[in-house]
Amino acid sequence: MSILKRTQQWATFARTWHIYDCTWQNPFDSAKVVKNHLMGLHKPIYHPMNDCGDHVVLINTGEIALPGDEWIKRVYFHHTGYPGGASWTLAWQLHEKDPTMVMKKAVYAAMKGNLQRRHTMQRLHLFPDDKVPEEILGNVTSQIKQTRVVPKRLDHIDKETLENFPAIMDYPKDYVLR
Amino acid sequence: MSILRIVNAFNRSLVPHQRTVATSAVLGVKQIEVQKQDDTVVIQAVTSESPRQALLLKEACQPKFCPECSLGLDVKHTDVLILSQYVRNDGCMLPRRITGLCKRQQKKMGTLVTMAQKAGLMPNLGPSSSKKDPKQRFGWRKYNKYYYESSIKY
Repeated sequence: MSILKRTQQWATFARTWHIYDCTWQNPFDSAKVVKNHLMGLHKPIYHPMNDCGDHVVLINTGEIALPGDEWIKRVYFHHTGYPGGASWTLAWQLHEKDPTMVMKKAVYAAMKGNLQRRHTMQRLHLFPDDKVPEEILGNVTSQIKQTRVVPKRLDHIDKETLENFPAIMDYPKDYVLR
Repeated sequence: MSILRIVNAFNRSLVPHQRTVATSAVLGVKQIEVQKQDDTVVIQAVTSESPRQALLLKEACQPKFCPECSLGLDVKHTDVLILSQYVRNDGCMLPRRITGLCKRQQKKMGTLVTMAQKAGLMPNLGPSSSKKDPKQRFGWRKYNKYYYESSIKY
């Protein structure tokens, strides 16, 4: 095998590290994207028997967003195995206990339940905020595009944009400003 | 720009005033000023120019203007720069006689404003007792949430 071909072989089967910012992202929409990179489904060489999945670093998992009142409607079930050992935890309560758990379970549930799933999950690295250890951040070479546009708060918009934004409504002449 | 402003101001003066007949004295007031001089407090109503006049869109100078009906704009609950114009300082929605929206749009805008407030995107426009930081809210409300505009029925 020539040097060129050998390098190509290494480059093809090397694991890439991706980073994904979960700020204001729906965990269940994001999980569908993250899963593709974790399993290597985005690669042309993909095959279930071919171990070509990548690493994914999820940051800011504490900042995920759920639609409407899903924080109190989504319930996580757990059973200890003993009689009366069932427990139901609301999504926001689980998120309060561990800010990475909702995201982790979303990615886990997005994949098919087979023997490979636990090993694929080992390649997922979750962090509740943007504090990532240097040895992990140093591996990252690629970024996954967010599924939702991060909304901007009115008090975080800079003064220049606020003052120059076109007005679509004027006050009537007898309006008292407050 | 200044010529456009004069033309706009002329156009607006042609539009008939909504309240032509008044049983009490016509207000004609923009701002209430409170001044303290020695031991007397002077409260006076000062008619001043609207802060939005210079930035006003040409289409919005019509007596009736809806972002969707007139311009075909699809306003989302994250468009806080548009929604905040229909809101008072304390976060209340302005009534229809002031906003000039059609009945359906007024209801829709009201819902969008509520969505933006619940999502914590306009924390600086709210009653003085409100928590300015959405992260300080109680229970599940402190976490990020967003809304689907398709859930608005009208």
